[in-house]
Amino acid sequence: MKVAIVSESPADEAAVLILLVGLLQQPIEVFSSPTLRRRPGGWTGVLRTIPTVLRHLYYNTDADALVAVLDSDRSVVHQAAHDAPDAAEPDCRLCELKSEVARIRGFLRPVEGRQPLKIALGLAVPQVEAWYLTGQDPHVSEAAWLSGLLSGTLPYDSKSLKTKVYGTDRPSLDLETRRAREEAERIVRDGKLPLLEQLFPGGFGALAADVRGWCPGQ
Amino acid sequence: MIESIEFKNFKVLRDAKLPLSRCTVLIGPNGTGKTTVLQALQAVREPARYPFAAVRSYLPLGEEVEVCVNFGPPHLGVHFVAEWYRAKGTQLGLRFSRGVEECPEGPALQRGVRRNRVFAFEGRAIARPAAVAANIELGENGANLAAVLDDIRDTDAERFTAINCALGQWLPEFKSILFAKPEQGSKSLMLQTRKEGVSVPDNDLSQGTLIALAMLTLAYLPKPPALIGIEEPDRGVHPRLLRLVQDAIYRLCYPESCGEKREPVQVIVTTHSPYFLDLFKDRPEEVVIANRVGMEAKFVRLSDHPNIEEILSGAPLGEIWYSGILGGVPSEP
Repeated sequence: MKVAIVSESPADEAAVLILLVGLLQQPIEVFSSPTLRRRPGGWTGVLRTIPTVLRHLYYNTDADALVAVLDSDRSVVHQAAHDAPDAAEPDCRLCELKSEVARIRGFLRPVEGRQPLKIALGLAVPQVEAWYLTGQDPHVSEAAWLSGLLSGTLPYDSKSLKTKVYGTDRPSLDLETRRAREEAERIVRDGKLPLLEQLFPGGFGALAADVRGWCPGQ
Repeated sequence: MIESIEFKNFKVLRDAKLPLSRCTVLIGPNGTGKTTVLQALQAVREPARYPFAAVRSYLPLGEEVEVCVNFGPPHLGVHFVAEWYRAKGTQLGLRFSRGVEECPEGPALQRGVRRNRVFAFEGRAIARPAAVAANIELGENGANLAAVLDDIRDTDAERFTAINCALGQWLPEFKSILFAKPEQGSKSLMLQTRKEGVSVPDNDLSQGTLIALAMLTLAYLPKPPALIGIEEPDRGVHPRLLRLVQDAIYRLCYPESCGEKREPVQVIVTTHSPYFLDLFKDRPEEVVIANRVGMEAKFVRLSDHPNIEEILSGAPLGEIWYSGILGGVPSEP
């Protein structure tokens, strides 16, 4: 299966790829002609480019699937309830992205021999480093973040998450990529994917559900 | 660390205070004093090159031009002042708010400021053959790069290997840095391609490649100066590589985060690149916006903007800056 990963950096891409392979239990080829990147630091950029990326992948390439993971930062945390009909939350980034993807897919005309693109979308709450701490720091979870958002006292921030994962809040790309790969491999190898889903049900759970939907019966 | 620099009648910086972090990114429209800040550093380093007429404000305000460098903790209250007088020329000195005896490091701090380096890399200068010498310094336009790398190779093989490794990340098509000897006593650079093993001479390398190589070398200098200014380090570099440019700057500023055992360097960079700025979204304290107010320039730290966290949520920082809501954009007729 050839998967295009829209990510902010090679670090994110490496981790997402390992987690995908863990979920699918089958090898994946990353679409890399060229690799897709999104502009750092803003989810609105993804929202604007995703229609073009979708059309390009569908009409011009042999990619089978598209995966995108956003950071929630301090926005609304996605909940399973948002996925019910007409229950999408307007301030939820994942809901908005899903709605945009669904809208564009509706416009894609059938192409002979072309299967519909498989899509998986995730939301890292508040950012992907939180996922890497699965099995390492029990205080890092969507529930802890949600409770912090409600109380107004956040349990951690971007800098503290980075320091925990990288040992510095200003990691180089090289260090970021190495640690992302190490942590994603640890999560898969140690059988922590179910824990990752349990701790991050709205963001990683949504991604995992989408990915499982690619191969029904698995 | 230097906490701020105050300017009086220094060209467009008639009465401005620039707040500094270890890394400071200066943004703003043309003519708002970004390059002037770097010129002020050069003037402090080489006052003889900058007579009163070259540094004074174009408005007839006074007979005195001043650049005052204010140190923060643990040297709070120490100021290094460079003054230019129409009649007397340049004076450089230390001022102490607490008495000289309370800051024995004062002279060393002054030396640190005066040994600052400002770089504005140019491809052609980088590609010129360089005379080989021990302890040779990188020129302000990137001249001598070949000699500097040659010196690192000869004196610190481990560091040279690290530069070659980093080169593979910056420019994956190249495998290693090689040297040619165009004439006795001089060296020029070549980059060996990874796949074909072909050595590409520096005058066949693109401007962006040469600037990237100069940035990379700067980040790995064994003994960098305590204060560095860099004019548009993003120039000629592909937006996807800008994260590596940021890494290079952070390597200078935060040596401890990458295993370097040396003192941190304070870096001031200017940029017009929204893509480069995107990378500092989580670091609003490192971004300073220059604005023109009447006939003079003023600086505001991004983190001092009201409600900045909420304003920055959602869109990339470069895009927010371009919109104009943060200031630092050209005025329109």
